[in-house]
Amino acid sequence: MRLSIQNLSKTYKNGVKALDDVSLEIGAGMFGLLGPNGAGKSTLMRTVATLQKPDSGGISFGEIDVLKDQLSLRKVLGYLPQEFGVYPNFSAEDLLDYFARLKGVGLKADRQKLIREVLEITNLWEVRKKSVSGYSGGMKQRFGIAQLLLNNPKLIIVDEPTAGLDPAERHRFLNVLREIGANHTVIFSTHIVDDVRELCHEIGILNGGKILFRGTPGEGETALKGKIWMRIIEREDVEVFMKNFKVLSSNYNPDNTLNIRVYSEEQPNETFVPATPSLEDVYFVALKNDTI
Amino acid sequence: MLGTIFSFETKRWFSQPSFYIYFAVFFLIGFLVMASALGYFDAFTVTTTSNTWYNSPLAVNSLINGFSQLLNFIIPTVVGATVYRDYKYNVHSVLYSYPFSKRDYLAGKFLSGMLITVIISLAIGLAFIIASVLPFANQELMGPFRLWAFIQSYVLFVIPNIFFIGAIIFLLVTLTRNVYIGFIFVLILLVVQLIIGNLTENMDDKFIAALIDPYGEQALAYVSKYWSIEEQNVNDIPLDKAILLNRVIWVGTGILALVVAYLTFSFSQSPVNLLRKKAPERIVKDNFQSVFRINLPEVTFDFSFVQNLRTAFSLAGTEFRSIVKNWVFISIVAVLFLFVIITGYTLGEDLLGTKTYPVTWKILGGISGQFVFFGYILVFLFAGVLIQQAATYRMDLLVNSTPVPNWVMLFSKFLALTAMCVVLMLTAMVSGMLVQAYYGYYHFEPWVYMKELLGFRMLNFTILIILALFIQSLFRNYMLGFIVLIVVMMIPAGLRKIGVELPVFHFNSAPGIAYSDMNGFGSFRGYLIWKFYWLLLGSVLYGLTLLLWRRGAFSGVKDRVRTAVSRLNWPVAVPMLLCLGAFAGLGYALYYQTAVAKPFYTGQEQELRSINYEKEYKKYADTPQPRITDVKVEIAIFPKERNYNAIAYFTLVNKAGRVIDSVIVDYGKNLRSIHFDIPHKQIFNDSSLRFSIYRLERPLQPGDSLQAKIIVENERNTWLKDESPVLENGTFINNFTLFPAFGYQESSEIQDNDIRKKYGLKDRERMAEPTDMKARQNTYISSNADWISFEATVSTAEDQIAIAPGYLQKEWVENGRKYFHYKMDKPIQNFYAFNSARYDVRREKYKGVNLEIYYQKGHEYNLDRMITSLKHSLDYFMENFSPYQHRQARIVEFPRTGGSFAQSFPNTIPYSEEVGFIAWVDEDKPNAVDYPYSITAHELAHQWWAHQVIGANVKGATLMSESLSEYSSLRVLEKRYGKFQMRKFLKDALDKYLLGRAAEWKSENPLMYNENQQYIHYNKGSLVLYAISDYLGEKYFNDILKGYIQDVAFQEPPYTTSLEFVDHIRRATPDSLQYLITDMFETITLYNNKVDKVTSKKLPDGKYQVDIEFKVAKYRTDKKGKRVYEDATGKTLSEGTGKKDLKSLPLADYIEVGIFGEKKKKGNYEYDNEIYLKRYKINKISNKVSVIVNEKPVEVGVDPYNKLIDTDSNDNRRGI
Repeated sequence: MRLSIQNLSKTYKNGVKALDDVSLEIGAGMFGLLGPNGAGKSTLMRTVATLQKPDSGGISFGEIDVLKDQLSLRKVLGYLPQEFGVYPNFSAEDLLDYFARLKGVGLKADRQKLIREVLEITNLWEVRKKSVSGYSGGMKQRFGIAQLLLNNPKLIIVDEPTAGLDPAERHRFLNVLREIGANHTVIFSTHIVDDVRELCHEIGILNGGKILFRGTPGEGETALKGKIWMRIIEREDVEVFMKNFKVLSSNYNPDNTLNIRVYSEEQPNETFVPATPSLEDVYFVALKNDTI
Repeated sequence: MLGTIFSFETKRWFSQPSFYIYFAVFFLIGFLVMASALGYFDAFTVTTTSNTWYNSPLAVNSLINGFSQLLNFIIPTVVGATVYRDYKYNVHSVLYSYPFSKRDYLAGKFLSGMLITVIISLAIGLAFIIASVLPFANQELMGPFRLWAFIQSYVLFVIPNIFFIGAIIFLLVTLTRNVYIGFIFVLILLVVQLIIGNLTENMDDKFIAALIDPYGEQALAYVSKYWSIEEQNVNDIPLDKAILLNRVIWVGTGILALVVAYLTFSFSQSPVNLLRKKAPERIVKDNFQSVFRINLPEVTFDFSFVQNLRTAFSLAGTEFRSIVKNWVFISIVAVLFLFVIITGYTLGEDLLGTKTYPVTWKILGGISGQFVFFGYILVFLFAGVLIQQAATYRMDLLVNSTPVPNWVMLFSKFLALTAMCVVLMLTAMVSGMLVQAYYGYYHFEPWVYMKELLGFRMLNFTILIILALFIQSLFRNYMLGFIVLIVVMMIPAGLRKIGVELPVFHFNSAPGIAYSDMNGFGSFRGYLIWKFYWLLLGSVLYGLTLLLWRRGAFSGVKDRVRTAVSRLNWPVAVPMLLCLGAFAGLGYALYYQTAVAKPFYTGQEQELRSINYEKEYKKYADTPQPRITDVKVEIAIFPKERNYNAIAYFTLVNKAGRVIDSVIVDYGKNLRSIHFDIPHKQIFNDSSLRFSIYRLERPLQPGDSLQAKIIVENERNTWLKDESPVLENGTFINNFTLFPAFGYQESSEIQDNDIRKKYGLKDRERMAEPTDMKARQNTYISSNADWISFEATVSTAEDQIAIAPGYLQKEWVENGRKYFHYKMDKPIQNFYAFNSARYDVRREKYKGVNLEIYYQKGHEYNLDRMITSLKHSLDYFMENFSPYQHRQARIVEFPRTGGSFAQSFPNTIPYSEEVGFIAWVDEDKPNAVDYPYSITAHELAHQWWAHQVIGANVKGATLMSESLSEYSSLRVLEKRYGKFQMRKFLKDALDKYLLGRAAEWKSENPLMYNENQQYIHYNKGSLVLYAISDYLGEKYFNDILKGYIQDVAFQEPPYTTSLEFVDHIRRATPDSLQYLITDMFETITLYNNKVDKVTSKKLPDGKYQVDIEFKVAKYRTDKKGKRVYEDATGKTLSEGTGKKDLKSLPLADYIEVGIFGEKKKKGNYEYDNEIYLKRYKINKISNKVSVIVNEKPVEVGVDPYNKLIDTDSNDNRRGI
């Protein structure tokens, strides 16, 4: 089933334009939504998740008109917000039972089967009797996935789920997502480019409420072929290079010099060497072009 | 740093809308309350009048402090949450690394919270001041404006209270980081006050109570409760020992709390946990495996209505568990439980120290009010808590994106709150029965508990739950929602104050429900209909709540309304419209029934009716009317249908000495027809004020008589309400309710001179002067008759007994109804009543008199006591006063819903089930009066003092009925129980008299000029007559009464007055005691007696010498309580100078001095052991006596039995 977003706009009361005529078509599989903090990712996610209304535009998922028939979407929706809490003194098991009821699993036996499975998938079986409010960050995110799976969702929305996870947790988390993404539509927002590279076959880059790029990571990289250049500079020269070139990124080397990557149709000058475009370049180029 | 933190916090508050909302709310309510008290709305309501000023320090303080109860609810959020907020928003992790000291941080936070609360509290004072200076205020209700009055209240009570409550809450919330705890504290304070009030109610000396009341109200009451009207108006709040000590204790407690907060607070991440921590456990996680396959089991997703309903119930279960695990709920239930147990301790000890049996209605009456009050608070609070729960724990996004429909979420909260109320009601029921069991009272009536608590009360709760959910769903801050709900609940009272008096406009209004053992809950359909009406409105609100349900984010009010409109589909709209239609329809029907089908008069309209009556018809006041001499009544009572009809045949005789050409009939709504046997014509009829005039075609010559046939029938009962006073079991109707009166009725006039002035009427007093010969033509009971002959046939349901004054001539059954024919053999007052119920009867014959008690089965407790009292009373009265004029004396029980009194009709005494029948008398208890015995004696005494001797309708008339009946019953009581019951009785009388005069609305009169003022004729009357008979000697005094009866019993007009009665006493009183007549009967005189110092030493012969220093002083007061120390000749006694200056009227008084030994033990109780009692002649203020006694003295007293009137009776005695 396809998620289709048409001309979505949303302006907050404080004047911030969170979504500006956003249109997106998303098919089955993992879709990565990249964007810096405050780009409008969460607004878009919440809007798709029926928790917020746009000022204008439309969303449909398969046959479902999301803005009109919220309940139908919620039946097939799995949503993991960027940040969430849980009722205190509830064990994972009890809380999942609570969510399973909310998600319409009427039979007790069904709920037990389901809960056991999602706990095992998220590797929380051992700690199922422990209170969720006492979980560590990674465990809590896994719990978030567990509750998300309860209704066997067709559309899954996960909002910056890897922020703050340790490498092992993050890895495991992405594996779970990948498995789910195999036959459902998954929208995965993040500001970490690596997450997307590992996982998504399609991406969108969002900033200032606008989609700046839409395609596969490969398409993005191919488009930049021959336009990314790099060199090593001294620390004191940074300002000059920044001014004269479209600097995409700069990283320190241990000897206090800097690697810079620059976007340019042609070789800026002979001190630059060509570089293989990476997804990160695609991201930064998109942002850079937008701000200029 | 303190300054920085303080000003940062304070500024933060000034930018918060909640600060302005709180300020505005308190200002508005304060303004409206004061405005209504000051007569702003007199254009729409009854005229506001008052004897006391609304801006006296005492009045200002009581108004402002009344509000501070409400103010307390914002203290947890304003003062308590100030540190907590830093945790809530996670600022603490940053803040605590900043370089400021703990002291600066805490002090800055606390002081700013204090300041904000005090500013909000100033809104009340400000509102009062503004309301009192605006030109709409009626200046007569106020004394001169004094800012000082407000400052006193704030400095002594409001601010210290905010301080100590704030400090404790600050401590609790800061340590636990839980705002709930602060809230719990406020609620507990409320209950604690109730408990203190309850525990100390029967304490003789309330000094301890004065100290332990956290608000200081008891301390102020301790000092000021007996203040006269004048003193209430002009006195400042005294810096009395009790008040100062109380303030020191509680401010000290506050300081202590702050110190503890300072010592225990640390800049750490985790709160103090009140429970013990679990043993630590090392946790290592294993997250190295990976997942490669997800195979969710096949399950059924069910989104059907039935499944949703089941989900709603299961969610309700979860929510309900979260409530009962919540500390607010647990604490309140625990404290209420405790409250019941403690109330149980003093249960029913409300009359003269004697308990009643813990009957179910009494228990319910004692506790259900508290449970309902706290039930409201819990509903208001938890409606918000539940609605905000997901958001509070930031789980809302997860919950809101699940496919559960909104109605399931709302319905589950409704169910959870309903279950919470049921638990509360069951707690009330269980704790009530435990109290009953504790007293060994095993007559459990679970059905009565359930009907009241789970039936009537729950119905009421349902409506409030819906309201609470609606209001709370509008706000995101549930404390704000809570305050708004409390304000919403005050709206009906506010509407009433501005003249909107129809109950159809008062949210959740309904007639009251009252239970009686005799008549059960009576007819309660009105209650159900009214509650159903509000439930219909509730259903509409419920629909609105559903439409406005917050799911996800709204971008403002408009968005919310738009969303609500878009949600309006048929399944919601149709029921809502139906309910709205039904609400409007039923509303109209209720309106029709209360205001159209029969006239509805607002308070103001009623006032105007009285005014019009007087203006229109006063001119007939002197038109002579024939007087009733013979009454024959045929009355049929239909208990099941709650109807009656009656035919009365009156013989009216012209006793006027002039020709009477017309009869004026002042009738009630029940009059169907009136016919005279002389041809007549109605020449005037005012059907609104119900006043008509019949012209007799043949005028009635002096001495001639006229027959009147009067047919009455109650107004038809409607589907909404019974209009007749007939009850299913326990009817009690008197002749004034049943039959019309003849002539203009002065008793209908408005007595308040302020109101009279407003409408241009002359001032009047409540009763005429004793010298008014015209007024003396009538007794104070009837203006239409002197002595009448009486006969009645009463019919009722077959299983009931009907009673009327007189002797039963015949009883029979006809057409399934029971008939009773009664006839009186002697003339009686025109004062009779009819009773009907399913009675059991106790009969006994004593000295030719039939003693009978008609009682409700199950109320056998005190029948013997009543019979004994009847016998003893007959003995005493016949020996000391005169023969009994009847051959029977009947006590007839009536339901408590009809009142809690007993009333003496000729040889028949209706007696409320609430007084006497269920009393649990402990004959040995020294501080308790056997009141079934004394009340019975009092009522029988009325057969002499009202039915033989009856005063004219002038001032002082009740001295010869109520006061003398009190005196008579006291003597009978003393004869049986001795002095100890006297002391309790007299102390109680003194207390009631002093409280009564403090609440006088017009003017206090001396005893012999009292205008039917209960605190004077009962309470002062019993004190005075007991004292004077004590001075003159019981036998001697009774002989005076005997002589008086001989002179005036059964007399024809002009009737006797207090002047004649007091003259009888005066003539028999020696010169040395003549001052008693002046002090006790003719003026208002109070003593100020006090033991200053006492020493005792053992003499060589084994005796003891006791030296007592004591003060005696007395003063008079005018009708408002202004003190006067000069006698008629301008002489005064004074002693000392400056502050210690003592003044007194000149003295030549005989005052008792008593000495008491070790208390005597009898059973569990201790009794006074009087070893010396003697009257001394006193003529100066400071006195000294030296007495030798045989026994070891332990206590002395001046006027130790409180026979004299003294505002501080506790300092009359002093231990050695």
